[in-house]
Amino acid sequence: MTNLTAIDWIIMLVYFVFVIGIGVLLRRKVKTSADFFLAGRAIPAWVCGLAFISANLGAQEVIGMAASGAKYGIATSHFYWIGAIPAMVFVGVFMMPFYYGSRARSVPEYLRLRFDEKTRGLNAISFAVMTVFSSGISMYAMARLIEILHFLDAPFQRFGIPQSYIFHFSIVASAVIVLAYILLGGLSSAIYNEVVQFFLIVAGFLPLTWLGLKNVGGWHGIVQKLPAAFTHSWVGMSQASTNPLGVDVFGLAMGLGFVLSFGYWCTDFLVVQRAMAADSMSAARRTPLIAAIPKMFFPFLVILPGLIAVSVPVVQSKLSAPIIQQTQAGQVSSNELPSKGLIPVKTNAVTGAPVLDDKGNPVYNYDLAIPVLLLHYFPSGILGLGLTALLASFMSGMAGNVTAFNTVWTYDIYQSYINKKATDAHYLWMGRMATIGGILLSIGAAYLATGFNNIMDALQLVFSFVNAPLFATFLLGMFWKRTTGHAAFTGLITGTVAALIHHGLTLPLNSAPGIHGAWITLVHTYPSDMAQNFWTAIIAFSTNLVITVAVSLVTKPREESELVGLVYSLTPKPVEHHLKWWQKPATLGFGVLAMLVILNLVFA
Amino acid sequence: MGLDIRIPLGLMFLSTGGMMFLYGIFTRGSEIYAKSLGTNLNISWGLLMFLFGGVMFFFGRRKKWQDDPVNPRPWERPENPSTKVKARH
Repeated sequence: MTNLTAIDWIIMLVYFVFVIGIGVLLRRKVKTSADFFLAGRAIPAWVCGLAFISANLGAQEVIGMAASGAKYGIATSHFYWIGAIPAMVFVGVFMMPFYYGSRARSVPEYLRLRFDEKTRGLNAISFAVMTVFSSGISMYAMARLIEILHFLDAPFQRFGIPQSYIFHFSIVASAVIVLAYILLGGLSSAIYNEVVQFFLIVAGFLPLTWLGLKNVGGWHGIVQKLPAAFTHSWVGMSQASTNPLGVDVFGLAMGLGFVLSFGYWCTDFLVVQRAMAADSMSAARRTPLIAAIPKMFFPFLVILPGLIAVSVPVVQSKLSAPIIQQTQAGQVSSNELPSKGLIPVKTNAVTGAPVLDDKGNPVYNYDLAIPVLLLHYFPSGILGLGLTALLASFMSGMAGNVTAFNTVWTYDIYQSYINKKATDAHYLWMGRMATIGGILLSIGAAYLATGFNNIMDALQLVFSFVNAPLFATFLLGMFWKRTTGHAAFTGLITGTVAALIHHGLTLPLNSAPGIHGAWITLVHTYPSDMAQNFWTAIIAFSTNLVITVAVSLVTKPREESELVGLVYSLTPKPVEHHLKWWQKPATLGFGVLAMLVILNLVFA
Repeated sequence: MGLDIRIPLGLMFLSTGGMMFLYGIFTRGSEIYAKSLGTNLNISWGLLMFLFGGVMFFFGRRKKWQDDPVNPRPWERPENPSTKVKARH
């Protein structure tokens, strides 16, 4: 059991007071639906920029990236350096002029302006479903983590509440807090809280990395303890068989670096919404570029702890201790356990017995890398800060999804298909209702995840098929004026179908046919699930690209006059003469890319 | 949106950092710091957070024309109040 002292609880409480307080202060400012959904388009660039990364910095990110760092090493940083930064520069420099300049209120609305109603409908509905499930998964993951960390056990015992209620309490409490601050202040409240969460996450995790590095003898110590492939991001990347990710350089660059990364950062309304709230065109364009700077260094905050957790020479930790005793009673004694540092063995949620793989080896719970480090290194006081940072990351992810959901629901589904001619006050009211509805649906999704874990895996897989072809549609839509609405719609559908078929025909090495693939028949085997995933994306993107071009050539394009502000060649370049050279998005973009190259060289 | 985010952000770091710092002072030499390899992180990190909060709060409270790219600077604004551009904040 993790015993927190009064100071830890007070620190957490102070955070929650501020979170709600910001909502209360902003409440008076929300008068129109634009205030609620777009933050009145009055937020400065640096605030939008920090919210831009914070909204993405949800549970999956913090927990998942540390887990991946512990499992695969510094190569995980490719998800940041290859898989995010170039796309963030691209969306800021090239795409934002159309998103912000078209005055579209959402990404699906841009699709309606550029293409047609059906393309918007397809995107809006799939996106709305996705956000609800993502926020539900965040909620579920947080509640499970609170259970595993046992820090609510003591207060629950004290008040005589059964321990089984901790899960329900965590779900309801997080839902109520996120609901309260979004309901009060809308998008501004979510953005302001994301900025607070950003600084809190940095403040909570930075000392963790520092202490961990000190303990293992710095980066040099990690290099000495771990295999070379763990500490060099580019070593062995030329072939799939010689690197821990099991991906070759083409799959990495095309699949992750281009299709998946551009598909997410350039088209996902969850992040683009933050830039759309900016107070001017140049601020909107600078938003993703400003975000790229801290993002670039995030591997040191979230991936490095994973590497530290596997380098720490001790096996005994508060969390792993009881687990190892159980393994001693079973087939494997603690002496025989291969050292994974502080990473505990995965246990069955019901029986508490360690989970073993097909060969009888224990399965490690890499997801606990950061939580275990927090408990290992942090004394009371700063422990409260660390746990608050962890909770903040979960909430920022949830709130990001909920604010994107309420906007898409109200503008792109409700206003477009259900009630077209209501007053602005009515849409504002609907936005608030959609917030409540979105949170209730997230709770439903969280409970669905408890009962049917496989359903969630399957759903996430389906979402990846829907997302994979998206970028081709935006790329053609923004940069080729000939692209038509029929083509965009057909391309999106065939791209998703292609992804589905590719998944049904291929399988990662050492996996059984089923949810991992090959449910039609096995045609090709990939060295890892990551490789399969990247290639699914490449196939989906290429299919969409080819089909959209082909259908565009045989369908009637729109009048050029209708496409001004929506397509690159027909839109006047954004005015930049009032900006100093260092304020221009292109300069910032070049600076970001130069830093990226340096980082890659240092950790090559 | 009227409220400068640096004010609540600053206040939060001032209070959290301040509390950690004081707690660190009261628990100096305590065995709880064996976990953090003998470093009293509450004092050092708490103080740093407190200072960061102070800086944020200070800049949040200052007049905000520096951050406003649209409105004229105070010395560029027309003297005549009737022609004054409406402030955005």
